[in-house]
Amino acid sequence: MASTFQRRLIDALGTDVARIEPADLAAYGYDAYKEDGNASAAIVPRDVREVATAVRIARECDEPVIPRGAGTGLCGGAVPVKGGLVISFARMNRLLALDVRNRRARVQPGLINLELSSAIARYGVFYAPDPSSQKISTIGGNVGTNAGGPHCLSYGTTTNHVLGLQYVDAAGRIHTTALDDVGYDVTGLLVGSEGTLGLITEIEVRLMRLPEAVRVYVAAFADVESASEAVSAIIGAGIVPVALEIMDKLITQAVEAHYHAGFPADAGAVLLVETAGPLDDMDDAERIIAGIAREHGALSWRAARDAAERAALWAARKGAAGAIGRIAPNYYIQDACVPRTKLPAVMKAVEGIARHYQLPVGNVFHAGDGNLHPLMIFDRREPRQVQAVIDAGNEILQTCIDMGGTISGEHGIGYEKRKTLSLVFSVADLAAMARVRDVFDPMRALNPDKIFPTGAVCGEVKASTAA
Amino acid sequence: MIVSTPYALGNRAPARVEEPADAPRLAGTLAAAAESGSAVVIFGGSTLQSIGNAPQRYDVAISLRKLDRVLQYDPRELTIGLQAGITLEGVARALAQARQFIPFDAPLPRRATVGGTLAAGWAGPRRAAYGHLRDLLIGSTVALTDGSLVNAGGMVVKNVTGYDMSRLYVGSLGTLGAIVRANFKTLPRPPRQRLAIAPLADEIRERTLTALETLAIEPAAALVVDGFFERVPRLRDEDARLLVLFEGSGAVIDRATRELRSALGKCGIAETLLFDETAAADVLQNTIDAYIEPLEDRSVTYRSTGLPQTVWQRALAVCGIASDCDARFDFIADIRTGDAIVRVAGTSGARTAALLGELDAGVRAAVPGLTVLAGDPALRAQIDAWGTPPSTMETLRAIKTRFDPTASLAPGRYVGGL
Ligand SMILES: Cc1cc2nc3c(=O)[nH]c(=O)nc-3n(C[C@H](O)[C@H](O)[C@H](O)COP(=O)(O)OP(=O)(O)OC[C@H]3O[C@@H](n4cnc5c(N)ncnc54)[C@H](O)[C@@H]3O)c2cc1C
Repeated sequence: MASTFQRRLIDALGTDVARIEPADLAAYGYDAYKEDGNASAAIVPRDVREVATAVRIARECDEPVIPRGAGTGLCGGAVPVKGGLVISFARMNRLLALDVRNRRARVQPGLINLELSSAIARYGVFYAPDPSSQKISTIGGNVGTNAGGPHCLSYGTTTNHVLGLQYVDAAGRIHTTALDDVGYDVTGLLVGSEGTLGLITEIEVRLMRLPEAVRVYVAAFADVESASEAVSAIIGAGIVPVALEIMDKLITQAVEAHYHAGFPADAGAVLLVETAGPLDDMDDAERIIAGIAREHGALSWRAARDAAERAALWAARKGAAGAIGRIAPNYYIQDACVPRTKLPAVMKAVEGIARHYQLPVGNVFHAGDGNLHPLMIFDRREPRQVQAVIDAGNEILQTCIDMGGTISGEHGIGYEKRKTLSLVFSVADLAAMARVRDVFDPMRALNPDKIFPTGAVCGEVKASTAA
Repeated sequence: MIVSTPYALGNRAPARVEEPADAPRLAGTLAAAAESGSAVVIFGGSTLQSIGNAPQRYDVAISLRKLDRVLQYDPRELTIGLQAGITLEGVARALAQARQFIPFDAPLPRRATVGGTLAAGWAGPRRAAYGHLRDLLIGSTVALTDGSLVNAGGMVVKNVTGYDMSRLYVGSLGTLGAIVRANFKTLPRPPRQRLAIAPLADEIRERTLTALETLAIEPAAALVVDGFFERVPRLRDEDARLLVLFEGSGAVIDRATRELRSALGKCGIAETLLFDETAAADVLQNTIDAYIEPLEDRSVTYRSTGLPQTVWQRALAVCGIASDCDARFDFIADIRTGDAIVRVAGTSGARTAALLGELDAGVRAAVPGLTVLAGDPALRAQIDAWGTPPSTMETLRAIKTRFDPTASLAPGRYVGGL
């Protein structure tokens, strides 16, 4: 029997927008990290007014609200862990306005990342943030997690490309905010807030002009460590290509088996380099970068012939997690970030940790940013393996922290790392964030139990750290 | 009465000036002031204190002069950790050896500090090419009025761990806390710099600016300066000069110059003056200094941000109203970022004071979002620096209340009287 809350949603929005059947709700209970969420109801709104209406009803019925993009998040961010109303932005997926001369576009949150750049390429512009999930993840979700991607090395992450937002607050009121507004940077606070400060219903994004020339290179190395050393050396020499990505042997073989993109499948590690800019600089850039790669043990160096081959290499790189999914029973992707000179050391440490826990580990990561993604393969039916993955993951995070790094470079904190956050921030640091939360969501009705542990007042944070 | 000591603001001078030697002491000073109900203004190099209103109460000035060190810098990381009181020139010097830079692009870099530049939300002309300062800011430490020192971000270039708190303090003008440390991504310095200046007559302006949009090599900055002759030299008898900055390799600069000259030639501009390397940097810096340069005691400078394509409309609207009010004007139109800077002045301080009321009402009606950037303190005291509060005012107020409940940080300076 429908609850009052469910009935009110149906009455206000109709059965096309509001979903209450258990079979329907199952579709809103998972993301790419966690699958056991339990929504009390879900809506698939067509416009911001429907979002506002639903939020008001949820508030009156004391139900939390959980915004959802495509559910590709890797930390449980979109999962309703405490019941409540899931708001899926799947239908609010339009490109609303394109202004090529001023290099901006206004989009709805449900627009798939790649669809934006595909739609505007013929005008000579593109949207830079390109998470590997860009074929399926939404720009709203990307804003929620401040998503990164291979090309963020030189272009910056999502937050550097958001110029303004429309959002619905915890009370169901609609607001707009823009970087050009006077006053505190509300826009900057909302980006990366993982749905805990507001529901983003429109995004004004910055566009960039497509570069005149693009080159992609593939270098083979004996192992991840030497490839990492090459990356540290390239950055250390003051060279910032557009992308610097590493895949180890396990990943490369899985990727090649599926995509046949032309990566050297027998190499211990592969370095994928992209340079872009004026044509005049391309040869010099190749000479310098290839030189550094060779000095650090590159066994081969090859340029992609044309746009088609470049696209194939990138499609394969971005499909790496999917390719692993085809050969492994289960896998778990960790996300952490270290200062870039620490990359070789951290990769060595990761290898040691994986060996200690007897877990096969693959590495596919945004090396130029020092952003690692060890991917551990396990079988979830084996409790001991599950525990090993958790322990190894924590050990990797602690190692990164000890090296001056942090516990998430791009996937966010979500549900997964909410108790780990206190490893990098003091009680006072977290209390400052709580002040912001108090402004936007004093009742903790927006995406509760994400980023911060429940009731994260100072004392409790301390207690959970000590425990 | 306008008081003039280095720490005076509007008609108020502080009873006390504190120069804490380290971050914990600074936090302690803030907490003590808040506790005792004193009002505090935080000082860097005092180059951008003209932004916002003068504080309504003002007892203690806290200078970050002594917090002027580079805390962490390994050039191979392309990141740097700085105390907030270090000058922009000091940072540039530290980065120069490794051929790196941070595009602060703020006025008076010998005096201006990192903390002050961030707190002012300074946005310079090269941000179209390199990003806003907040995009290069990867971590911060801030002293709050409860005496706590809070960290956000870190020394890594990608970081999604809770809210991006560092951005909250950027542009907050010291009304939420005192920035004591800032960590940045640094950028490899382009090998070469060239700045081209050409006269720009009104009749060919539109055509010329459209032509610039299609250059294959995008300029690092492109500005039109009209007036400000004390900073940017006059060319021929034209008031307006086009400044185009290119940065990159030798090959790119040479090609960019050829393409620029050919594009300008087609628009009827035959002569282009070229400045290379430090000479180029000097012209750019002089232009940036002009943003806040007052004209004796008789000017007020407005700033408007917006779409690049509307920068002319906004700049000319302000200039037109100034003319109608019998004021003279100088302006800078940043055609890549959309910033318009207009300095208005009467024939004397008294004359400006007399016409400012009408002028201010006129320009604010014509150009929403206009703010006051600089000018004579007595004149600035006549008008509100911010104009109509934004639609997010309620949220801004709530933020202020959470961070500075007793309103001890520069009360009244910020938007909407915060
Ligand atoms: C194969 C694969 C590869 C990936 N590669 C990358 C990568 O390279 N870089 C990277 O950064 N991430 C990557 N991810 C992680 C994930 O794709 C990103 O976190 C992405 O931004 C999530 O988008 P989504 O639309 O799926 O959002 P969801 O997972 O649905 O939601 C993500 C978070 O944002 C919130 N949210 C969603 N929509 C809104 C909204 N409109 N308003 C407010 N909050 C909202 C949610 O509550 C949740 O907290 C990858 C994931 C997979 C499965």
